[in-house]
Amino acid sequence: MSEGSYGEVIDYTKAPPLLEGNPTLSKIDESIAAPMEKFPSKKYFMALSVTLTMLLIGAVALGYTLYYGIGMWGNNIPVGWAFDITNFVFWIGIGHAGTLISAVLFLFRQRWRTAIARFAEAMTIFAVMCAGLFPLIHLGRPWYAAFVFPIPTQHGVWINWNSPLIWDVFAVSTYFTVSLMFWYIGLIPDLATMRDRTTNWFKKKVYSILSMGWRFSNRHWQQYEKVYVILAGLATPLVLSVHSIVSFDFAVSILPGWHTTIFPPYFVAGAIFSGFGMVMTGLIIVRKVFNLEYIITTDHLEKMAKVTLLVSMMVAYAYLMEPFIAWYSGDPVDWYLVLMRATGHYAVGFWIMVTCNVFIPQLFWFKKIRRNVAVLFVISLLINVGMWLERYIIIVTSLYRDFLPSSWHIYVPTIYDFGVLIGSFGLFFTLVLLFARSLPVISMSEVKGVAESAHPTHIGVEHE
Amino acid sequence: MADSDKEHLHKELPVIQPTEMKGQHYWKSLRQFYNDPSAIEAKAHEFMEGVVDDFKLSNLTDMSRRKFLALLAASASFAASGCSLYQSKGEVIPYNKEPVGVIPGIPDYYASTCSGCKHACGILVKTREGRPIKINGNDEHPVSKGKACARGQGSILNLYDPERLREPMKKDGSGFSSVSWQAADTAIIEELNKAASAGKEIAVVMNTLNSPTAKRVLDDLAAKYQTVKLYSYELFDDLTRQSAWTKSYGAGSYPLIDWDKAKLILSLESDFLGNEGNTIENARLYTATRNNADLKNFSRLVVFESGMSLTGMNADLRLRLRPELQYDLVMSLLNEFVVKRQTSRYALDKGIIDALQGYSIEKFAAESEIDPKSMDSIISYMAKYKNASILYAGDRLPEQVHVAVNLLNDVLGSTALYRKDQSEAVILPYSSLEEWKTLVAGMNSGNVAVVVHLGTNPVYHLPKSVGYADALAKVPTVVTLSQTESETSAASDWVLPTNHDLESWNDFKTRTGFYSLQQPVIYPLYVNRQKEAVLLTWAAGSESAYHDTLYHDYMMARWEKEVYPPLRLAVGFKEFWFSGLDVGVVSFNEQAEGFDSFNVAAFTSSVAPSAAKGFTVTLAESYFLGDGRFANNGWLQELPHPVTKVVWDNYAALAPATAKELNVDYNDLVEVTVEGNNLKLPVWIQPGMAEKVVAVELGYGRTHAGTVGSDVGFNANILQTSGGAFSQWINSSASVSRADGTFEIITTMEHHSLDNKLVENMQFNRGIIREGTVEEYGKEPNFIQQERKEDEPTTIYKNYEYNGIKWGMAIDLNKCTGCSACVISCNVENNIPVVGKDQVKVSREMQWIRIDRYYSGPPVEPRISLQPMLCQQCDDAPCENVCPVAATTHSPDGLNMMVYNRCIGTRYCSNNCPYKVRRFNFFNYRHHFDGEYYLKQPAPMVSNPEVTVRTRGVMEKCTFCVQRLVQAKQDALQEGKEFTGSGVVVACQEACPTRAITFGNVNDKESEVAKLREHPLGYYVLEQLDTKPNVTYLAKLRNV
Repeated sequence: MSEGSYGEVIDYTKAPPLLEGNPTLSKIDESIAAPMEKFPSKKYFMALSVTLTMLLIGAVALGYTLYYGIGMWGNNIPVGWAFDITNFVFWIGIGHAGTLISAVLFLFRQRWRTAIARFAEAMTIFAVMCAGLFPLIHLGRPWYAAFVFPIPTQHGVWINWNSPLIWDVFAVSTYFTVSLMFWYIGLIPDLATMRDRTTNWFKKKVYSILSMGWRFSNRHWQQYEKVYVILAGLATPLVLSVHSIVSFDFAVSILPGWHTTIFPPYFVAGAIFSGFGMVMTGLIIVRKVFNLEYIITTDHLEKMAKVTLLVSMMVAYAYLMEPFIAWYSGDPVDWYLVLMRATGHYAVGFWIMVTCNVFIPQLFWFKKIRRNVAVLFVISLLINVGMWLERYIIIVTSLYRDFLPSSWHIYVPTIYDFGVLIGSFGLFFTLVLLFARSLPVISMSEVKGVAESAHPTHIGVEHE
Repeated sequence: MADSDKEHLHKELPVIQPTEMKGQHYWKSLRQFYNDPSAIEAKAHEFMEGVVDDFKLSNLTDMSRRKFLALLAASASFAASGCSLYQSKGEVIPYNKEPVGVIPGIPDYYASTCSGCKHACGILVKTREGRPIKINGNDEHPVSKGKACARGQGSILNLYDPERLREPMKKDGSGFSSVSWQAADTAIIEELNKAASAGKEIAVVMNTLNSPTAKRVLDDLAAKYQTVKLYSYELFDDLTRQSAWTKSYGAGSYPLIDWDKAKLILSLESDFLGNEGNTIENARLYTATRNNADLKNFSRLVVFESGMSLTGMNADLRLRLRPELQYDLVMSLLNEFVVKRQTSRYALDKGIIDALQGYSIEKFAAESEIDPKSMDSIISYMAKYKNASILYAGDRLPEQVHVAVNLLNDVLGSTALYRKDQSEAVILPYSSLEEWKTLVAGMNSGNVAVVVHLGTNPVYHLPKSVGYADALAKVPTVVTLSQTESETSAASDWVLPTNHDLESWNDFKTRTGFYSLQQPVIYPLYVNRQKEAVLLTWAAGSESAYHDTLYHDYMMARWEKEVYPPLRLAVGFKEFWFSGLDVGVVSFNEQAEGFDSFNVAAFTSSVAPSAAKGFTVTLAESYFLGDGRFANNGWLQELPHPVTKVVWDNYAALAPATAKELNVDYNDLVEVTVEGNNLKLPVWIQPGMAEKVVAVELGYGRTHAGTVGSDVGFNANILQTSGGAFSQWINSSASVSRADGTFEIITTMEHHSLDNKLVENMQFNRGIIREGTVEEYGKEPNFIQQERKEDEPTTIYKNYEYNGIKWGMAIDLNKCTGCSACVISCNVENNIPVVGKDQVKVSREMQWIRIDRYYSGPPVEPRISLQPMLCQQCDDAPCENVCPVAATTHSPDGLNMMVYNRCIGTRYCSNNCPYKVRRFNFFNYRHHFDGEYYLKQPAPMVSNPEVTVRTRGVMEKCTFCVQRLVQAKQDALQEGKEFTGSGVVVACQEACPTRAITFGNVNDKESEVAKLREHPLGYYVLEQLDTKPNVTYLAKLRNV
């Protein structure tokens, strides 16, 4: 955005341009396609080696777990769930911003979304893949995981529809399917562009198959827009439903600290919060590494910071309501748990969580901070830390101090817990890196659609 | 096509007329078309040659249909025989010839006797296809009355211990080599002959000898080898009590107590409910006075003790008192009654009055810092119930305390509570410390040529100052008869494997009036022999004298000659013998030892044991390992300590104030020094301990106990004193200091900061424990129900109706002493794996029933509430609705079921269980524990075949012993009876010595459990959650 210098007339009724520097359409194509067309840099390989190492650590930790049993982790009785479900909820949360940014903002005609939607959607897909791993590997007998599907067998044993875990199975798989479809439909025009650009026969084959014969015809665009809006409409309620249902894992139980009606909205807000945090982290890296600052502008980041501030306050409200209801209910079990969260063995984690999720985002009230990319990056990382801790605190503290003091026991994670956590990050970032090399991280067609050159004007009035 | 054929075609090609085609002139082949002669010929026959015309069976095959089928069957079975069935991996051997009375799948029960400790309780052994799988108490036994303690029940695992000695061994350099029994016997007999002829002593060392026939065997041995001398001991004996009684009453033994008639029990440093005397009987008699239906006879238990014992946990009033002050306590009480209140005839006895000078309650209260009000209340109670107030001093207290207690009981008229019907039988008195010292001197001087250990472990047990271990090295021939390796066997020249109880014959006489018979329920697993039979072989002087039934015959012969005739029975000996074995107990008339009047001369004013200046170390026997003999038993090692809930270790228990003074916390090491012997022990801070007292349990720190038991805990036996001023197990001039380092003690219940106000009284605030006082209950029987009303939940849902049988349980908290017999019983019945210390550390113990212990009140004088906790089988079980795969569901008879095959291990059920009674197989525990120790043969044989062995990744929990319920139902069905659910007994209930657990069909209004559900003291744990549990707890009443 240009600073309004003295003497220049600024038209405040007109939104600032979404792309900086009025790039030509071909420049947009070129700079977005660049990472896929050039041989990757050393930096890329270094990054990939780091993420693959993380993935390998995870594979080894997981291998031990699968061979010997869940006992390799720190889980115990009473703390039956710990890192496993924390990671699950965390990654599902990360997977939320994607759909929110692409579908909900699309429906609200927020055109600034174009620059970040693709990346956010990809993150959704990868995050849900990471998330989906945990319910599988947290099982004592993962080789019987198919029991959670309603498969008719001669035994006549059916799944238990009362269990929130079954709801999870359907909620998460539906969400994944719809997100994948949405992402893929959005990719088709870009895949066609790539097909047309590439000279490599192999790439050409792949892009040709994937672009499904897209010819940029008017008719194609008409149908595309219809499908896209329908899928956006389908995906939007899923943003709310998935995390609501994930929160039912806890809210439906009778455990103090879990059994709370505020959980569904609280979890959705948290998911959006953490998702925006993660998208911000990713985008700041991507725009820097691939020189896309003029497409993913500081304006974009500022807008995201504003949304983050809003959901941070929603999360803060939930944090306040929890102790209030515990106190107001007069239930000694609930009240004790609230006190233990703030003062018990995991108090450090609790206060880091509150600081990262409530106090630090308050800095976004200041415009200077919203527009300072370095600060944004640090804060976005802190939000990720805070949101991971939030799930950890909710799960572990509720379990380790439940009803009967006789069975209370502290939970201490083992290196295998950390190994699997690191592995999930390794998986996520490996997928992100592979994605950045093989598919356009920013939607070419949509960005071109918001470029000024795509909107011929007549004395500042857009042709409709 | 060959040319000739072509010609043929062209030559004879007929013209085909269309009409012919219409006439349906079909042709099969060209040959037919051209009327080839062979085709015309073939046309005459319907089928090809050999198919029909000359059809003969023999032309086809010479096989008959029958033969074909036979071959088919044979080849099929031959092919099948090549397949590997899973049975072929193990040994599934059907009975070739079915033994009489053995039906596969139907258990057999045999009466026998447990010799796990000196009390030799009657047991009933459950066997399946000849394999013993569970030990229960024998109902007919007059002392244990159908109950067996934790150790006795757990001892079944020792039978199948993979590290039992399997063959005789001879010392060979630094190790051992296997020898035959013949070689061993011949060599040992030679040594015995040599020793006897050289006039050198043959020392036979044993624990309590309580079998008259075994005594006879030893007599025979002594007759053959003149220099045989017998020594017996227990790590914790009753010699001081014994000698005090001999002095006070001139009696040969001391009387048993009618606990069930007592109104006030004053226990002085005595753990009569946990470790002293026959605790099964003591607990039963004691809890008879804790009947909430009989408030009039409700007793009051007052405990003065230094450490927190199981008895102390059950006290109505528990007062901390250092052991040195026990004498002052008794003397002050005597002063109060004899001098002040002029009670009894001794009020005129000058000697006694003089002796009591200088003692008074006020002085005692000041010295011991005990609230004088407490003393007043005790004294007024004693005065009120004069003939029913019993003082009971602990075995570890010195003689003068026992004498004074005897006098006080006499003064109060409590002699009425001494049992007249029965008394202890002593077959061989324990050897005194002097005798041991003489033996050791003999060993050192070469006067002892042979030492035979009969299943004992004196190298580990005897006080270090006796010098037994060093002296043993100088004895030319040391023979140890033992089931497993031990510190003593390691120091022996010959190690001979002996039988487990369940492989043995014997008779036991622990009390007057009856014999308890021991019969084998399984043939010896290896070439091990019964130790009495080995002695008989030696007594016969030739190894060839041994045969399988040697001791059996010997015992029967003795019974036929000596026991049977005086009984003057109408039945023949055989019938008498077999009915005796059937019942397990043979009763006869025998006068119990009587007691005359108190011998006043015995009571002299002795100098009180030195008043406490330094630290006092008190040693006690481990509740579950005994004197260490059960160290290699994983079930017993993992059974949480009744008070501290510590597993797999012993420790130095300190009062919070003492720990503060020493500047130590949990797990810090302290160095304890007693008579120059020092030992580093980890600290356990125990509320309710007397200050400057260190309580340590013995039975740990074994070096040669086997894979499981070696190097577990610390060998505190070296802290025993010999000839100390006080007693062997209490030393009041010890020094304790902080040492460097820590050692982690593991417990199944987290210890919380003792002054944490947040957790104070949580058990009451949360509706976990409800209790009151006898007075309160007498005034308002419904006080518990009024409390319950506050927590009454409401629901909008309709309850499921259970119309048939509905199982339920009731647990009377007045009767639970925390002995933990139920836990072991459940372990054995339900194949609970041992997980090891590392797994308990991360809270993964597998026991399905546990005994929760809660403290209330100030940490210096805490009150304790106990609560056995198992699956509550909730009607609205929170675990059930969260399982995604319906692996835990509800049965129509009210059971919360667990389907292992279906379980995928999400652990959600456990998370949602408010009672946290579900247990998860985090590993394949049988593989994970100690190098697959309990997978080594024959350990898996201990498993109950009725219960699935769970794999890793599967949740499990108490099932109310569903296998027993189903069996009972099936039996009723087969007998054509209506199944009402009466008479079914679950494992924990079966084991409970105080019958605190009641189980049955709550829909049967006649059943006991249905009545207890309506009891005014009944409540459910956490009923505010509306899970509708089916275990009713009857609130504890304290008599304060």
